[in-house]
Amino acid sequence: MAKDQGLRALLKKQKGVDFKKEHQKKLQKQAEKRKRSQKPTDKEIEAEGSGLEEDSEANDSGEDVKDVAKEEVAAKLAELKEKMNGQASGWETDESEDAEEDDEDEDDGGIDIEGIDSDSESESDEEDGAGAEDDDEEEEEEDIPLSDIESLASDERGDIIPHQRLTINNTAALLRSLKAFALPASLPFSAAQAVTSDAPTEIKDVEDDLTRELAFYKQSLEAVKEGRIRLNKEGMPFTRPTDYFAEMVKSEEQMGKVRAKMVDAAARKKASADARRQRDLKKFGKAVQVAKLQERDKAKRDTLDKINVLKRKREGGAGLTTNEEDMFDVALDDAADGEKAARRFKDGRGGPEGGKGAKRQKKDAKFGFGGKKRFSKSNDAKSSGDVSGFSVKKMKGKGKSQRPGKSRRAAGK
Amino acid sequence: MAAVYKSISKQKSSAPNGKEETDNKPKNKQRVLILTSRGVTYRHRHLLGDLNALLPHSRKDAKLDTKTQLHQLNELADLYNCNNVMFFEARKGKDLYIWLSKPPNGPTVKMHCQNIHTMEELNFTGNCLKGSRPILSFDAAFDKQAHTKVIKELLTHTFGVPASSRKVKPFVDHVMGFTMADGKIWIRCYQIAETEASKNGKAENEENTQEPSIVAPKSGKGETNVSLVEIGPRFVLTPIVILEGSFGGPVIYENKEFVSPNQIRSDLRKSKAGRYNKRADGIMERKAKKSDLGLRTGATHEVDELDDRVLFA
Repeated sequence: MAKDQGLRALLKKQKGVDFKKEHQKKLQKQAEKRKRSQKPTDKEIEAEGSGLEEDSEANDSGEDVKDVAKEEVAAKLAELKEKMNGQASGWETDESEDAEEDDEDEDDGGIDIEGIDSDSESESDEEDGAGAEDDDEEEEEEDIPLSDIESLASDERGDIIPHQRLTINNTAALLRSLKAFALPASLPFSAAQAVTSDAPTEIKDVEDDLTRELAFYKQSLEAVKEGRIRLNKEGMPFTRPTDYFAEMVKSEEQMGKVRAKMVDAAARKKASADARRQRDLKKFGKAVQVAKLQERDKAKRDTLDKINVLKRKREGGAGLTTNEEDMFDVALDDAADGEKAARRFKDGRGGPEGGKGAKRQKKDAKFGFGGKKRFSKSNDAKSSGDVSGFSVKKMKGKGKSQRPGKSRRAAGK
Repeated sequence: MAAVYKSISKQKSSAPNGKEETDNKPKNKQRVLILTSRGVTYRHRHLLGDLNALLPHSRKDAKLDTKTQLHQLNELADLYNCNNVMFFEARKGKDLYIWLSKPPNGPTVKMHCQNIHTMEELNFTGNCLKGSRPILSFDAAFDKQAHTKVIKELLTHTFGVPASSRKVKPFVDHVMGFTMADGKIWIRCYQIAETEASKNGKAENEENTQEPSIVAPKSGKGETNVSLVEIGPRFVLTPIVILEGSFGGPVIYENKEFVSPNQIRSDLRKSKAGRYNKRADGIMERKAKKSDLGLRTGATHEVDELDDRVLFA
């Protein structure tokens, strides 16, 4: 059907028929017919036809106007257009029409046709004007976005019937409705405190949470800054004083929960960081330990090698001169001694001379080291004969002042 | 004589501060009736509770029994002296539609609400006074089309707290953001956190009380020391339809791009069914092909005379 129409349109174009004019004639006829049936609404219609705006009820008015000479229609609608600032056609039905609207700006003759055109479409919902109905169908077929269908995998497309609804966008009615209930512009800013941003917030990818939220944040922040300036200009209080306490939106309980959650999160973060550090340390410590063990093994192997070499030399030493043997012996002993000494030194026990440290010597002198420990503190003949520490004075107990009696001690307390 | 004195004194008193004149001026008087239909989930209920907490000029009412006779809401609003209605219509226990309306004369917007996160579950650190008036931040995209203008005005009426509201608090400590993105309206609520606000704020206030008409030079105010902390809740609205009346009247805008969640679900189901159907069709086709070739009828093909079975019989 649509295809058929498209072909017809092409044919007509080739013939040079002005499709729009024809269409308008058709509509004119229709309108006349309708007018005969709808006499009573005329008064209202005329008022609106000459008035500022078209509206949904005034669809008839659009038709009505057509009865008048065509030039008059054009003039009126041009006037209308001026008043509505480019939103000439009351009903815009589709994007395709949007595109056509651009043409309107160029010639006023086009406007009336557009306006009438769209009117008839809106009416086609109620009445079955044949021509208008066709238009509608054509549009609906245009409505189906092919891209949506193609995005599906071909096998999954299956039974899906592409679903589209007809856009209704009655700009005139919307604007009239807005005017009816909008707050008067004379109100001060503080009445509604609504700030509109200067530039539209642009979000490239709505799925990208971070950038999206950032855009929202920025928009609100700008609004706050502007709002604050304007409120201050009007002398309205803005900032809450620190000593103003009142009920908050979120209860203390809820805020406590939030805080607990934050603390929890912080603790978890810290714990995980600690665990990681520990793990790393452990890994490093293990490497060190392995290296140490290897070193020790190597040292042991070396010594054993040396000993083996020595043994072999001792056993098969017949051919060797004594001199050589001595030389080897000394060297070996030296090496062994040196190693032992070095180890002792590294361990921190004892000095390099192999003797005892000063501290040890002192302790040995004091507590005794080596030798017999039994009876070492008991008297012997010499000590019992020694009376150098004896003092008569001490024995008599007169050297010291005597301890006072209990009562005196208690009194002194 | 007394009348003359009165009129003169009135003139005198009204001249300096101009307060008297404002009485004649139109005021922003809003009251919002908020209620849900039956069959809301806990999340919808909590969202309603959050909004009720944020809007001191709102009046919460019991659930509405019907989903078809919404014109009853006009009478309800009249009963409660409300000139705005926010109605949560829940469908199938999962889809939420929000109606914003201006009874008695309209218009009405029906929107689909998605991505609901209530204040409680978001665990944001922001907080604000219960009953303080928000700054409403609108995206510039709202002013581009007629239907968005209507929606913006409706949102202003519903979410803007009028100064004359009963439970209102005098300071501004939060902002509500409305952004158009992807054909949807995204709604956020932030606390206004002012650092060093105490010093600057006091100075500002003093200046203002002395001479409100003269704007004192802002000492670093307006460009610094404001930051926002989100409070919640978060939700996204997709406009579906605008009616001229309040819960009735002709449709003056319908969103073509809106696909109902039912449609999406059924498409998903159908796409799954499509997979099976295609497979079943394939099997049928194969069978037909086979029978066309005579492979399924059991007809024996003729034995050639050079066949093994013939040669070595």
